[in-house]
Amino acid sequence: MSQSQPLPIPAAVLYVPRYPIETARLRLRPFNRGDVDAVYSYRSRPDVAEYLFDEPMNHEECAEAVRARTTQVAFSGEGDKILLAVERRDDSRLIGEVSLIWRSVADRQAEIGYIFHPDVHGRGYATEAACGLLAFAFADAGMHRVYARCDARNTASFRVMQRLGMRQEAHFREHAHFKGRWDEERIFAILDREWGGAQRCDGFVTITKI
Amino acid sequence: MAISDQTIKTERLILRPFEKSDLDGVLSYYSLPDVQRYLDWKARDKSEAKAAFESMRKQTRLTRPGEVLTLAIVRKSDGKVMGHVSLRYTDSTAAQGEIRFAIGPLFRNKGYASEAVKAVVTLGFEEFRLHRVYARTAGQNEASARLLKRLGMRLEAHYREHALFQGEWDEELHFAVLDREWSRGAKVHEITRHKVA
Repeated sequence: MSQSQPLPIPAAVLYVPRYPIETARLRLRPFNRGDVDAVYSYRSRPDVAEYLFDEPMNHEECAEAVRARTTQVAFSGEGDKILLAVERRDDSRLIGEVSLIWRSVADRQAEIGYIFHPDVHGRGYATEAACGLLAFAFADAGMHRVYARCDARNTASFRVMQRLGMRQEAHFREHAHFKGRWDEERIFAILDREWGGAQRCDGFVTITKI
Repeated sequence: MAISDQTIKTERLILRPFEKSDLDGVLSYYSLPDVQRYLDWKARDKSEAKAAFESMRKQTRLTRPGEVLTLAIVRKSDGKVMGHVSLRYTDSTAAQGEIRFAIGPLFRNKGYASEAVKAVVTLGFEEFRLHRVYARTAGQNEASARLLKRLGMRLEAHYREHALFQGEWDEELHFAVLDREWSRGAKVHEITRHKVA
């Protein structure tokens, strides 16, 4: 439908967040090999996997996932993923993960995602962590639009998107088969000019421009 | 299902696979800027448009995901090729199809495109047993959006500034309808379909 014209961006462009990304209560940092048990504690749960493409993971699969994530820390080209562990600053517990995928270099588009341990749901951690990553996406990586997708029934997930100031752009009905039933999907998005900068995260994000 | 012999007749139209002799008809609209603007296959001149035509001429079967059925929109009264309508089989497990269409400027605002799209959506549901048919349009293409909405398709997505097109931010709309929703409406507007042996 649309044909993109490349922007005059240097070929060897590279964006790296200044680690750790700190918010009021949280620390976003690259994964390391010691994170396997913590990741297993939530990725093994069926209630966490319900709305994910992945099935519940065993310990070995978690170890493999963590190994892969240790290198997913920067953007150097289209399709690159930044996958970060989210830990609480007060007790250093790893409570979840956030992701940012560079979907289009020419069109400056990225996709954000988050998964948290059910023990800590309902405290605004996902919103806070996503805010930290959105600040990087817009202020440092120069994205024009960031979007997020979720199962239409995953109320907790799209509430986070709404709190982030994202607008619902799509609600697809029965557009695919997902885990044995008809799938519904919502897409939310936010543009750079809609992202209010740091004040959007007032109260919990302190991020400095690189 | 072999449908290479498929011809659909509606009140004012014949929808049928392209024939060799349709080339001039297609050349009359395919490369025009306001048609090109919304087509995936870029054809700025006659030879590129001819290549696009040759490709569409081969789109006569819809048996596997990824395949496309393209039918010429021919006016019954004078046999003029006015445009084309395509149905792409995008997903077999979820039985999804995408409809696309183009019509020459001379033949617009007469309901021809609407008549053709309606017949092909019905074909998708009744003949190919699709579960959902969707269409994408550029945000600026108001005529297409109106047409799809009038046919009873639901606006499911409106992407803003999701891509650049010739240096400007682009918008994209998605419309969709499910088989059970379409069959309710279809009782009101019956479409006569005729299969040639």
